[in-house]
Amino acid sequence: MKKINISLIKSKKGDRGYISSIDGDNHLIARITSIGLSIGCEVEIMQNYKKRPVLLYERDTVLAVNREAAKKIMMEKVN
Amino acid sequence: MKEKKPKQKINIAILGQPNSGKSTLFNNLTGSNQHIGNWPGKTVEKKKGKFSYNNKDFTIVDLPGSYSLHSCSDEEIITRDYIASGEADIVCIMVDASQMERSMFMLADYVGIKCPTILIINMIDIAEKRGRKIDKDLISKKLNIPVVSMSASDSKDYQSFFDALEKEYKIPDYSSLNTFYEDKIGSKFKEFVELMPKDQNEIFSPFWLAAKIIEGDALTTKIVKSKIEKPVWDKVFILLKNIKNESLKTNIFQKTCPLSTCKECVCSQKIGICKFSWVSEILKNSITKNSDERIYMGRFDRLATHKIWGKPFAFLMMISGLVASFLITMPVLLFIVMKVPHLIAPHINDIMLLFTPNMPWVSALINETIEAIFMAFGIAFFVAGSALVFGFMEEVGYMARISYVFDNTMSKLRLQGKSMMPILMSFGCVISGATSARVIDNWGQRVLTIMMAWLVPCAGTWGVISLFGAAFFGFNTIWVIISLFLCVIILMHITARIFGGKLVKEGSGTGLIIELPPYHKPKWGVLFRFVFNRAGGMFKRAAVFIVAIWLLFWALSYSADGNVNNSIIYKTGHFVEPITIWFGLTWETFTAFLSSMMGKEAALGVLGSVFSSSNANTSDIALQMQQVLSKPEALAFLFAFFFNIPCFATVVVTREETHSWKWTLCMVLYFVSISLVMAKLAYHIGNLIF
Repeated sequence: MKKINISLIKSKKGDRGYISSIDGDNHLIARITSIGLSIGCEVEIMQNYKKRPVLLYERDTVLAVNREAAKKIMMEKVN
Repeated sequence: MKEKKPKQKINIAILGQPNSGKSTLFNNLTGSNQHIGNWPGKTVEKKKGKFSYNNKDFTIVDLPGSYSLHSCSDEEIITRDYIASGEADIVCIMVDASQMERSMFMLADYVGIKCPTILIINMIDIAEKRGRKIDKDLISKKLNIPVVSMSASDSKDYQSFFDALEKEYKIPDYSSLNTFYEDKIGSKFKEFVELMPKDQNEIFSPFWLAAKIIEGDALTTKIVKSKIEKPVWDKVFILLKNIKNESLKTNIFQKTCPLSTCKECVCSQKIGICKFSWVSEILKNSITKNSDERIYMGRFDRLATHKIWGKPFAFLMMISGLVASFLITMPVLLFIVMKVPHLIAPHINDIMLLFTPNMPWVSALINETIEAIFMAFGIAFFVAGSALVFGFMEEVGYMARISYVFDNTMSKLRLQGKSMMPILMSFGCVISGATSARVIDNWGQRVLTIMMAWLVPCAGTWGVISLFGAAFFGFNTIWVIISLFLCVIILMHITARIFGGKLVKEGSGTGLIIELPPYHKPKWGVLFRFVFNRAGGMFKRAAVFIVAIWLLFWALSYSADGNVNNSIIYKTGHFVEPITIWFGLTWETFTAFLSSMMGKEAALGVLGSVFSSSNANTSDIALQMQQVLSKPEALAFLFAFFFNIPCFATVVVTREETHSWKWTLCMVLYFVSISLVMAKLAYHIGNLIF
């Protein structure tokens, strides 16, 4: 299986994989982690429209992440 | 481990992430025995209540909902301070049974705090319906604390919770989390813990403090620094640097990493990863999931988040919300607030004449006070109406979708999706809008949102605009309204430009990161309490301030013979007219402009009284106004009035919500300036057109 690393902002609906890195200040990392996104966490992209936050599914939760933050989060696609 | 024996009066604190059902439990336990105020100096609700069980008295505090105990937001700092105070005998941590892995993060962030704990797995009924089985005894064994599962909305389901309160209180076991840290951070973690202050009475254990400092929590770092001596702190500092450097070299997951190319990560993230790994360890073998348990988007949600239809749909929902809150409020406004004071006024005059026949102003004063109190009641009722409708949307889970849909639009104003609701609510009443801005956790964005809300014309503004506009421009009022709206949009962008940079720092994590909770039935008890508290708080504030200001204004325009020309306000108005006319405002419209600061609808009353007495030739006020004012002057007034500060009550509320006199006064000055500038512009453009 080929694995590629992409930023959440470039992901497409239906993409599955794992969070591989989160780049940002402590404040951003603390916010993202506490709401459930951490490195190694399994995610599935539910929606990614150009001018909307990215909608994803993680740890039984639907999460909207604004595009600025989504740029800084990388995922490793598995499908 | 230290174990406390329950004493007769027990303090309980409920802790949990948003949507974990804390308020429901709190409401059902306390019923009407609750007190709701604000935490000192903060715009965060403090909910405290009482209940008794088995001859024991319990006090219970509903801690503000937050996702962790990191010191990022007011909510989190309040929660930490409260726990640090040692007031709580037991902390109940609530988690959502359907989202255990995620919501248990709060517990992972909590362990290491030396306060006894009960874990409450809430909404177990929904999780079970979806086929999930949870072995709470196993979890309880691993954590060494009582674990209770319940459906908080069903108050008959509380027996196991009460039983847990009767048992001995235990502090959760964190040794396995410690193992995770030592394993992932390295042997230096142990060394680091050794350096932490070791006060036996301190509620935060050295272990907890160490993890928080490594995570980069500013508040903990500050506290620890103040508690240990300088040479020790220097050691802490060096060791922390070492840990950070080493962290970059080691791979956190080793062989178990799901990622093919494991990347190094900073140690603050490692702590987070350890916490989630610990949660998985605790839940291992104790949760049986149904394979098709995963939530898919329903038809409603697909529409609510739709690329094209999402926004129009959200608009439709919000406009229906506004209309609904109008429909709820209007009968009360029309039949009670408007009518009753006038019905009782003659009787009061009669009664007062008996006591103070030579002082007619006494009965006038009493009547004005009554009218002002009814006005405050009306505002409170309006706030209640919109709190009910919009609280309902929040309660069922729809509000998060609105934030999602409008996030990008709002980001152009340096705001985020959550700012949409306060701005829209302001079409009904700016006070409701300003108070609902507290959902925004970033202070700067909250202030900026309130500023935008001030620009939005409230229901009172519309009343005056349509009546006054129709008298001068007839059907062409529509063009006036369109241009007013265009100006609002332009001014919003200008305002964001002027104040955005100061209030909202770029890249400080102000963007929207929000959970879209599954839709659920509204908890009516919680909703009505929310409405009641909002409206009650509003009434108290409004009653005091509106009465005071109303009376002041009344005194200024009072004259013994009833002729406004003999009042102080007339004399002052005439005195300043040479200046105000420069902005296109005559003394009459300037007085109305000033009075609209008390409440927009007050402008009509002032215009009415000023014109009816200054020119007694005709009884039709519209005609009188046309005789005195030119069209450009009328236009200037409309613009000045429209962009004036919403009302005095809003100013008071804004001060309370922002906790800043500086910004509140800045907003007042800013709005008075823009309204005068807009008046001047409108006056000149009016002179060109008419």
